[in-house]
Amino acid sequence: MSPEKLSPLDPLIHSRVRLGILSILASVEEATFNYLKEALDTTDGNLSANLSKLEESGYISIKKAFSGKKPLTTCRISKKGLTAFQDYLKALEAYLKFGK
Amino acid sequence: MEELNPEQELRFIREMVERTRKITAGSWMFLLIWGFVPILGVIGMYILAALKKYSWIWPNWIFFVAAGIVFSLIYGPKIQRQTGIKTYAQKAAYSISVACALGFILAGFILPMLKLYPWGMIPVMMSLMAGVLIFSLGGLFEWALLKWCGALFWIGALVMVFIHENYRALLFVPLIIFGYIVPALVLRARYKKQS
Repeated sequence: MSPEKLSPLDPLIHSRVRLGILSILASVEEATFNYLKEALDTTDGNLSANLSKLEESGYISIKKAFSGKKPLTTCRISKKGLTAFQDYLKALEAYLKFGK
Repeated sequence: MEELNPEQELRFIREMVERTRKITAGSWMFLLIWGFVPILGVIGMYILAALKKYSWIWPNWIFFVAAGIVFSLIYGPKIQRQTGIKTYAQKAAYSISVACALGFILAGFILPMLKLYPWGMIPVMMSLMAGVLIFSLGGLFEWALLKWCGALFWIGALVMVFIHENYRALLFVPLIIFGYIVPALVLRARYKKQS
């Protein structure tokens, strides 16, 4: 395979935090903001910004509610997000094959 | 993602997915609760039988089962909040557990009350149901030990057939210790290690 035939990596996913968010959300039904923050070892502001980008592109949906008096933000991957994530994985595999 | 090459990215994705799978270790408390419920129920039943208070045997079971349900209802949402994720495996495990709980109520209370089979058959039926529950959970969480524990309950059900009906329920105690309590303690150790 020539390098020209390799499909480009989706720039929306090509960031450590956004890739991590989609990896987690692709394997669960939903995850809370705090779980994502801890798993990705990032700050509130950075995670919020990345979640907003993914939500704007329709890759995830965000639900804001309250658990008692505490705010509870939960995130889910959308069909579009799951397809984009699967395509990203395929592209990564193609890059790996090309590299060998 | 300038700092990671494709191989590192794939490893990162795998790490994130593995992390969500480890969460199942937090369910040790449910196994422990539903391990102690039948043990306490059996002990209570034999004490009441020794005291010749036979009419208290059903309320004794209803009390411990109700206590287990209340504890699960309180603890379930709490564990959900603590873990921060809802996995498909947890959802499926919940459905299997509810289905088996209804099966336990039917096989352990309603069917014998309707005189479909004698009360001496209850431990056999419960052991069969427990085997289905534990084996299914073992398959769902890809945990071989739990599958063996499920099989242990089925062997127990067979052995019970050859035991006098007055002593069948006693066999339930070692079965529950090895089939519920031991895997619960293994899960607990894993959970503590993770956290």
